[in-house]
Amino acid sequence: MINLRAYTAYTHSTLLLTMRDRAVLFFSYLFPLIFFIAFGEGLGAAQGAGAATQVIVMVLVLGVLGNGFFGGGMRATLERETGILRRFKVAPISPAPILVASIATGWVIYLPAVFLFFAIARWRYALPFPENWFSLLAFLFFGVIAFRSMGLIVSSVVNSMAESQIIIQLLYFPMLLLSGATIPLSVLPEWLQIVAQFLPATHLYLGMQGILMRNESALDQLPAIGALTLATIVCLFISVKLFRWEKDDRLKPSAKLWVAASLLPFLLIGGWQAYSLDNLRKTKIIDREQRRSLSWLIRDARVFIGDGEVLELGTVLVRGGRIEAVWPGRGPDPRDVRAELLEAAGRTLLPGLIDSWVRLPDDDSARHRALASLLYCGITGVAAGVDRPEFIAALAQQVRDGEVLGPEILSAAPPEPPAGLSLAAREWIDPAADPPLLLTRSLTQQILEPGYRAALTQQMRNWQDRPSLPAPDSAPNPPYSAAGEFQLPHGPSFHRQLQLMAAAGATPAELLRQATAGAAARFRRNDIGLIRPGAAADLLLVDGNPLDDISATERIVAVFSKGERVNRASLLDHE
Amino acid sequence: MPDAPAIVVSGLRKSYGAFEALKGIDFEVAQGEVFGLLGPNGAGKTTTVEILEGLRPRTSGEVRVLGFDPAHETAAVKDRIGVSLQATNLPEKIRVLEAAELFAAFYTRQTSIETLLKRLQLWDKRAAFYSTLSGGQKQRLALALAMVNDPQILFLDEPTTGLDPQVRLEIHTLIEELRDQRRTILLTTHYIEEAERLCHRVAIVDEGCIIAIGTPRELQQRILGHTRVEIECASPLPATPPNGWSAEFPLVFSDDRRQLSVAHPKPAQAVLELVKWVDACGAGLDDLHIRRPTLEDVFIQLTGKKLRD
Repeated sequence: MINLRAYTAYTHSTLLLTMRDRAVLFFSYLFPLIFFIAFGEGLGAAQGAGAATQVIVMVLVLGVLGNGFFGGGMRATLERETGILRRFKVAPISPAPILVASIATGWVIYLPAVFLFFAIARWRYALPFPENWFSLLAFLFFGVIAFRSMGLIVSSVVNSMAESQIIIQLLYFPMLLLSGATIPLSVLPEWLQIVAQFLPATHLYLGMQGILMRNESALDQLPAIGALTLATIVCLFISVKLFRWEKDDRLKPSAKLWVAASLLPFLLIGGWQAYSLDNLRKTKIIDREQRRSLSWLIRDARVFIGDGEVLELGTVLVRGGRIEAVWPGRGPDPRDVRAELLEAAGRTLLPGLIDSWVRLPDDDSARHRALASLLYCGITGVAAGVDRPEFIAALAQQVRDGEVLGPEILSAAPPEPPAGLSLAAREWIDPAADPPLLLTRSLTQQILEPGYRAALTQQMRNWQDRPSLPAPDSAPNPPYSAAGEFQLPHGPSFHRQLQLMAAAGATPAELLRQATAGAAARFRRNDIGLIRPGAAADLLLVDGNPLDDISATERIVAVFSKGERVNRASLLDHE
Repeated sequence: MPDAPAIVVSGLRKSYGAFEALKGIDFEVAQGEVFGLLGPNGAGKTTTVEILEGLRPRTSGEVRVLGFDPAHETAAVKDRIGVSLQATNLPEKIRVLEAAELFAAFYTRQTSIETLLKRLQLWDKRAAFYSTLSGGQKQRLALALAMVNDPQILFLDEPTTGLDPQVRLEIHTLIEELRDQRRTILLTTHYIEEAERLCHRVAIVDEGCIIAIGTPRELQQRILGHTRVEIECASPLPATPPNGWSAEFPLVFSDDRRQLSVAHPKPAQAVLELVKWVDACGAGLDDLHIRRPTLEDVFIQLTGKKLRD
């Protein structure tokens, strides 16, 4: 028979005592608050929902860890060591009300902190309240009770306060540092990221990021919730088994083996993640979401709207992956709109270029490199000619999620270029050009590794059976590069194509309109290809004025993809 | 079963590995009786009590508390008894009334907390934090907590150890009150005077065995038999005892024959005869003592060692 009165009375009493404990108030509210303010200001949380979310997730994870290990574990040890539990031993109660009270108290103490931090984030960083409150609270609930149970396990195996301090620090700090809560997982080496998959806190962190950044529901976090719940059940069961009322009760050495069982859920989920690399993928996505969520103010640029209209002096505000506002002239103070400033005087801002036909390599790493090269060259949308459209759909999704960095894949195009070879491709395979002109362009030099460039040059010279040049087509509309055909490099060929078309008589304004809004319309997309409020923040900032000289498109200053300022320097380093 | 003993212990043994803490203990405690376990630290008192309270399993022997076996019907036993342990503590920031209400929630039987706290002079302190209580108040609260369920047996493990004499007196008065209400109490102590003052019956425990059991008076008499009468005179006494003095109670003289002592079951009668005799001899009576043996004497007599405080 369960004595419910004992549960409620003990929980009530534990709550009262906890609220009278200043140390608890400090660790539950003040300590995370200090972190919140320090990191919030330090990471520039005001400049993007991503940074603000990262900070709030960090603080919430910090709270769960502190609540579980210090609040749950240390307190239980203290009560045993000071002879308090001994008094309860002679009363007709089992350890269960004591353990349940500890867990319930953990949750009740934690809850106000959640509301407090969201209120501050809203007031200070204009972070909207999460849409899926229920999912967030449900997920946090499972997190708090799991970590509280883990704290109780610690207290059941240690023999003194000093020992519990040591073990708790040994658990607390790795989880704090490796879970992604403080240091982004994406900066860790891959092996360490895999190690992190075995830490319970990683699942807590990733689950919360998913819910807050991607608006996922608690149901999307089922594996994490499963692991946390399993941990709670196993830990509670073991805590009851190993419960000691008095410090003189010694633990049987065999009992310590039980503790290994509490690690089992995380060994399982860690093993699964190490095998499926699912979370590593998630980590990349979270990292991408964060970069995409930053705010930018691009000021004093010549703005080529995309439909042919030009603002000789304009300012563009990018927020949350979209263009929020376009002003003629200098626009507002960046601090007033909480955005990072990008000075663009003497430069031209265009919608990201759209290459309407490329062929992507079959090999995974070559394909990723091709996508990276395209983005490097300011191409933020492509139509990919493929034999198997279903394969391209999966890749397009990966790019959309941010797992793979590259231009948006707008369409699976037929396997052959729409109007035969592009001008760039014709020039590329022209035996008169030795070496092909494209290899000498600076943009090509930037994207091709020197060794590969030399090998390619050699190969082009020795090319025995060149395809006979087909008759020139009328300039295709909208323009495409046919990159990927005859190893024509992705990215520079498109710029070359624009130059060749200009040389053939097209005006730069018309070419650029075709390469942006024109191509977007062709793929029935009204959210790209234009610089106007509400459009996706796919942008290209170049030095000079491509409307005078089309080759200015090669002098790239910055590329934005869905709001992320692409780190071009590191884009081609790996993958 | 109104007359069934509250506690029955027979052949109780407890070993920790090779060490035998209890080597076969037998006793019974009647309803309404205050029973004391007296012995030095480490004698096995606490082990015995903890087995009765259901806190420890026994190695062998039979134990019944209110008819229940504490090893197997632990919850039934714990629900019906009240316990005041040595070396326990309560959270610093718990208030007196909260502590009493918390403990009351664990038990089936309830009693009025207000009445209880008033009786233990804690009602005025009901809002005080545990950490602000004096030693005596803490011990009174321990008693209150032991009585929140109106227990059928009260176990008091060393209720006055470590308290100063005045507080000890205060606690003694409280236990006497409980005794007068005919509550069943099992008390352990290593204070002789506590056992003598409070207990109806006492068992003397040493090295895991009961070496004597009975009322304090019975123990005194059974072991040494008799009260000693001691007489001191101005001049030496004659070698011949008074007329009609039974040889069963030999007179013991000092070397100078001025001091005389004798153990006698009826000390008053012995004094009367001896004083008449001294007077008749003209030895001049200087001083006279009637020395009742204490439990301390009993303990020394039985074990050859002193009780340590």
